[in-house]
Amino acid sequence: MKVLQFKNKNAQRVYDDYINRSKKFIKILSEKDREDCLLEINSHIYEFLENNKGNDEIENILNIIERLGQPEDTLKEVVASKKTSQAIQTFNPRFLVQALFLNIKNGFIYILLSLLLLFLMCFPILIILKLIYPKNVGFFLSDHTFIFGFTNNVNNSPEILGNWFIPIAILISTTLYFSIIFLLKLKNKK
Amino acid sequence: MCYFLHYICIVKNRFLINWNIQLKKGLLPLYVLQALEKKECYGYELIQELKLEIGIDVTEGTIYPLLVRLMKDNLLTCKWVEQPSGIPRKYYQMSVEGKNNLNEMKNMVQGIFSVIK
Repeated sequence: MKVLQFKNKNAQRVYDDYINRSKKFIKILSEKDREDCLLEINSHIYEFLENNKGNDEIENILNIIERLGQPEDTLKEVVASKKTSQAIQTFNPRFLVQALFLNIKNGFIYILLSLLLLFLMCFPILIILKLIYPKNVGFFLSDHTFIFGFTNNVNNSPEILGNWFIPIAILISTTLYFSIIFLLKLKNKK
Repeated sequence: MCYFLHYICIVKNRFLINWNIQLKKGLLPLYVLQALEKKECYGYELIQELKLEIGIDVTEGTIYPLLVRLMKDNLLTCKWVEQPSGIPRKYYQMSVEGKNNLNEMKNMVQGIFSVIK
């Protein structure tokens, strides 16, 4: 991105500060998306300044920054949208967590998906616990109830999966993960 | 009594002003698509176009997230065009889906206004 140069030092400071704030807010995005956002903001500033050349530099930069709004507000939706696209395209769990966190206020579906993700996180924990406490972790079945997870009461209900517990836990968590991505994709397409 | 009536008038006007803003805000995607139907535009140009053609002053802080939303919904496409100044412009164009949606949106708006007597 080509940095704009101002004759007035204060105008330069205001511009640099706005760009730095924007950079800070979008650092969560991929390099390509960051560049796209900054180029767009810079373009808006430049075009406004070019079309209002006769006015004072400091007044001009303050006017366009006022029109752009706080970067944290203006870019909020942009960042959430681009992060969601990144999560869908890359299947990266870190991006998925970030995308859901950024969109949590955008509807019930994001709350539901976040809860599903929290539920999903239980499976790797269970797998580790299975390795540490093999007798206490598993799929325990009794007459009227079942436990899929950890229990101290192993005498009354027999464990039926045995060594298959870990592959099944991996299978369930993978299916759940792809279901979350699929639902997010579906929501994003709407 | 006079002050009271004056207050009522201000409240009423404030209501109308807010309603007018909300109405235009709701119709903004339609205005943007309509403007881009004629020709592709970059952000600043689009704002000027809306000011000139529709008579609304949309700020850059409003138009940018809206354009991203319309892009996400596949109603628009965009391309960066290098400029001699070294500051490229992002030109927005209406997609085929955008064109179809615009026609639907126009029909919906006309349907809404047709029942107002």
